[in-house]
Amino acid sequence: MSFSGPTNYRRESAKAIRDKPEVRDSVTAATRTFDAHRVHAWGQIDADRWRDWARDVKTHVLTHLDQYLEQAERQLTSNGTRVHWAESADDALTILGEIVREDGVESAVKAKSMLSEELGVNRHLEGLGVHVRETDLGEYIIQLLDEPPSHIVGPAIHRSVDDCRKLFHERLGTPLDADPDELADAARDALRAEFLAADLGISGGNFLAADSGTIALIENEGNIRLSTSLPRVHVAFVGIEKLVPRLEDVSAFLQLTSRAATGQPIGNFVSLIQGPRRSDEVDGPEEVHVVLVDNGRTRLLADEAAWEALRCVRCGACLNICPVYRQTGGHPYGWTYSGPIGAIIAPGMLGLEEALPLPHASSLCGACVDVCPVRIPIPELLVHWREKAVEQGLTPKVETVGLKAYTKMAQRPGLFSAAGAVLRHVPLGLGGRALPVLGGWMQERSAPKSSPKSFLQMWKEGIE
Amino acid sequence: MTARERILGRVREALRERDPVEHPGAFEGWRPRTPRSPVDGLVHLLDAAGGEVVHQPNLDAATSWLATFCGGFDSSAVGESVPAALRPPIPTASPDIAPLGVSVARGAVAETGSLIMDARDGRRAQLLVPTHVVFLRVEHVYATLREALLDMADDLPSAIGLHSGPSKSADIGQILVKGVHGPGRLVAVLIGGDE
Amino acid sequence: MVRLLRHLGIDVEVPEGQTCCGQPAYNSGQPEEAQSMAEHTLKVFADAEYVVLPSGSCAGMMRCFYPGLVGSDLRVASLVERTYELSQFLRTVLEVDSLGSGLQGRRVAYHHGCHALRELGVKDEPVALLAGCGAEVVPWEADEECCGFGGLFSAKLPEASAAMADRKIDTLPDVDFVTSADGGCLLQLTGRAQKRGTGTAFVHLASALWRGVAE
Repeated sequence: MSFSGPTNYRRESAKAIRDKPEVRDSVTAATRTFDAHRVHAWGQIDADRWRDWARDVKTHVLTHLDQYLEQAERQLTSNGTRVHWAESADDALTILGEIVREDGVESAVKAKSMLSEELGVNRHLEGLGVHVRETDLGEYIIQLLDEPPSHIVGPAIHRSVDDCRKLFHERLGTPLDADPDELADAARDALRAEFLAADLGISGGNFLAADSGTIALIENEGNIRLSTSLPRVHVAFVGIEKLVPRLEDVSAFLQLTSRAATGQPIGNFVSLIQGPRRSDEVDGPEEVHVVLVDNGRTRLLADEAAWEALRCVRCGACLNICPVYRQTGGHPYGWTYSGPIGAIIAPGMLGLEEALPLPHASSLCGACVDVCPVRIPIPELLVHWREKAVEQGLTPKVETVGLKAYTKMAQRPGLFSAAGAVLRHVPLGLGGRALPVLGGWMQERSAPKSSPKSFLQMWKEGIE
Repeated sequence: MTARERILGRVREALRERDPVEHPGAFEGWRPRTPRSPVDGLVHLLDAAGGEVVHQPNLDAATSWLATFCGGFDSSAVGESVPAALRPPIPTASPDIAPLGVSVARGAVAETGSLIMDARDGRRAQLLVPTHVVFLRVEHVYATLREALLDMADDLPSAIGLHSGPSKSADIGQILVKGVHGPGRLVAVLIGGDE
Repeated sequence: MVRLLRHLGIDVEVPEGQTCCGQPAYNSGQPEEAQSMAEHTLKVFADAEYVVLPSGSCAGMMRCFYPGLVGSDLRVASLVERTYELSQFLRTVLEVDSLGSGLQGRRVAYHHGCHALRELGVKDEPVALLAGCGAEVVPWEADEECCGFGGLFSAKLPEASAAMADRKIDTLPDVDFVTSADGGCLLQLTGRAQKRGTGTAFVHLASALWRGVAE
């Protein structure tokens, strides 16, 4: 299932809140749990020092990105990996199509990869007649439901156990009252057959070490290890921002990301892939391809402020703490990346007009600043995009002109007081809905009770 | 111009006005609040992650332990680097049907509680079996992941797997389930120590 | 707040030229308008020894954002150092421990507004002051979560904003009243609670502490 785009965020989020209170409950419970685990895991380490280091390494890479991309390509190639460069999603899919054709691929297994969602890999493969199966349990569930992922780390957090019981009963024949272990067994059996039969394994890449040409992948299930080991061809889609200078740096990023995402010292399975199987190895893919993907990342890199968002390690911590995200989960954002990180990269990668109103989908509470492992200044970047929207004339005139008028009044205290008096004495309950700002307020809240006198009036009259 | 040249060109253009930032240098691992010896650290984390840890003082003891352990299995898949003394005394089977897999870890990492699995041992026997027994010498336990990777840098196979616990998922309504899709039972056998 | 400060022996002035700190414009991406309001505010408070605000968000705007907005003006640096949110002023500058025992036996929930908490680092001060008046500040699962006001956010995305207020209200323990340092937060929570008819009492921190002054 594809994404509808961010433009309808308000309508979609309102609908989700009104019609699906169970999603709000599931997402709130899941994200609070994830965040509690992160807090515990960071409490065991000197998180501040680690986050400073991670921010600095990523900033270093980004300011030398061309050099590291070239080094990674050299290293990957000398490891026997085939390197491809894709400017757009279409280019990436064309490259994939060529590999499918060359290698006679009929079936594929997929490890969870947000980039592959962004590119629309599944739909494209199906169009080529290739059977595609998501193997991460959460991705498998939403594939069966034909829904997009709701969260970077837990794609199915918006779905309850009962939802899974019904789904597996229909599709795998498990009893309606099956417990989670029985559901898991059924999924394992179904997917095992797929792992063993697949010609192609597709993954993303959490990190790409330039000095050794290593693709690093983190997980808990083992499906990524299986998808990148059993089929004879492995294709890894890696965003150009995923580079890290040295394999030894990757050691720290693996741990920081795991602690931020799920509170673990490290994911239960980590794959460090150098290339295809060697002559002294008994198994492993015969071909490994890395597709280095731009798809709007260079556009984001060119933005004088928002380029910092490219430090993102996709841990999901900002989604887990965001009080706005928590009310709806990821679907209303209309794009692969939701929550705070989605709101700051969408304008760079999709273009500001298409990404609006996401930069406004925030009360600027700043909770995300406390949790980002690479210290992306998310609220600052949200305000940055709001400024750009005003500059480019994308913000409704009623707001920009309204604020200009308000500013003029605020520099003339007499006028400001007079306006306040009007507000205090107009019955907002009646007139409020008609006014642009007040309409939104009145929809969900009672009108504030007005004081008959302003504070300044009381001050002038004397306060005892 | 190729896609590669265009992408690199756009990167360079984007960076033209940007001040470069230097690499901050090595990060030598976090300072644990309760320091433990590498072996104790490894055991503590593997146990917390749901793995089982067994200590055997020497190879002979490990062989005996394995013979007993195999009593519950009718066949096993054996890794390429497993020495004769640690081959299970039961028929071998292909990894996709064997109920048990036996491997030797190249090393382990205390700070993350990880066993270092080398592709040369054979990946299938490490991943497809429901129960995975991994032998490891105590001298091969590194304190930090960074040290381990630096030490292995000149001798990397096609893939290294860091296995830090049994396979698990919380994707079904946030409830923990095991064994989907890697081994649901991980047994680490540490050989050596105070002999 | 005026009564409270006078009670503590402070000479209080309320410059009549004060209007708005400029935060709504800044947050909406209109920094020039915010700058105009900042310059006006600087003029109005230029002669103050201290500037005390019953608002975490305005104090946060002034302390954290004015320097960037109005440039390296020495006036800004000096004003910003003298600007405090009320509870911060009482604890840090006046070093108040106990104002009185007027809140003895009262169960109170404290809402930590985002600006006071994250921009100013104000967390223990209001709680200590309330407890110092005899109040029992009860644990509240969602006490540090955003109430959903966010200035214009509450009007632009009212559904999400209301859902955030509901999360706060639904997790409230049984208390005599809820208090906070920010008028905007209180406006939001009161408005939503009244619409839902929950009967919860909301009181600004300054009023709560004034009640606490009584013996």
